[in-house]
Amino acid sequence: MPIRVNLDRILLERRMSLTELSDRVGVTIANLSILKTGKARAVRFSTLDALCRELGCQPGDLVEYEAGPPSAVED
Amino acid sequence: MRALGPGSVSSFLKIALDVIYVALWVWIGLLSVVSLVVLLMSFNPELLANRLHINGNVDELTGNGPLLAAALAGWALMSGGWMAIVERLRKIFGTLSAGDPFHPDNVRRLRLVGMILVGLEIGRYVFASVAHAIAKDVKVIDGSFTLNTWFSVLVVFVLAEVFREGARLRREAELTI
Repeated sequence: MPIRVNLDRILLERRMSLTELSDRVGVTIANLSILKTGKARAVRFSTLDALCRELGCQPGDLVEYEAGPPSAVED
Repeated sequence: MRALGPGSVSSFLKIALDVIYVALWVWIGLLSVVSLVVLLMSFNPELLANRLHINGNVDELTGNGPLLAAALAGWALMSGGWMAIVERLRKIFGTLSAGDPFHPDNVRRLRLVGMILVGLEIGRYVFASVAHAIAKDVKVIDGSFTLNTWFSVLVVFVLAEVFREGARLRREAELTI
């Protein structure tokens, strides 16, 4: 997918663990891992709101567009 | 009306499926036993003549024995197909009871139900043709074309596609954070 999630880098910059972020935003570690590894298909605005609030960043810091072949819609 | 739990339509359907499942087992068992008995009787007509009082031609009855046994075996086979359908429907219902009706396995199960229905219908035509070729006077099974069956097959395949889309949306929902 041409959308890249920079959660890993931001967590490293904030010196915050995934467990701590999970506790703060109320999203399970499993779901944050899906987001972090780029397997997520969609992100709710409420999740984005919580992530930006706790990480002190903008949505654009979290996600980035990388030009490439369009991803096919999977079954 | 409640979707799940006691008193709901699904609980009534579940009971109906369980009853049909048990009844089919009994029916297949009976058919198998009767087929065997008819086949054995046809090879030994004295058994019929000595132990049973039959009004009519015993030779005719015993002569048609193998055909009757084959017809009964055909019925048992068809009942096996129905059993396979009911089993798949029970599994689909199991996922509904578990609150996950759009499980990807249900797409496969529904397609299989459709294919079994097609197989049963084609099998009926073949069986009727063969039976008619062997014994023209005896009508063992009705081999006429029934539009309702093919319409049911179409409905099942359409539902399978609906479930496929449901399974895709379920997957999307799972990966929405």
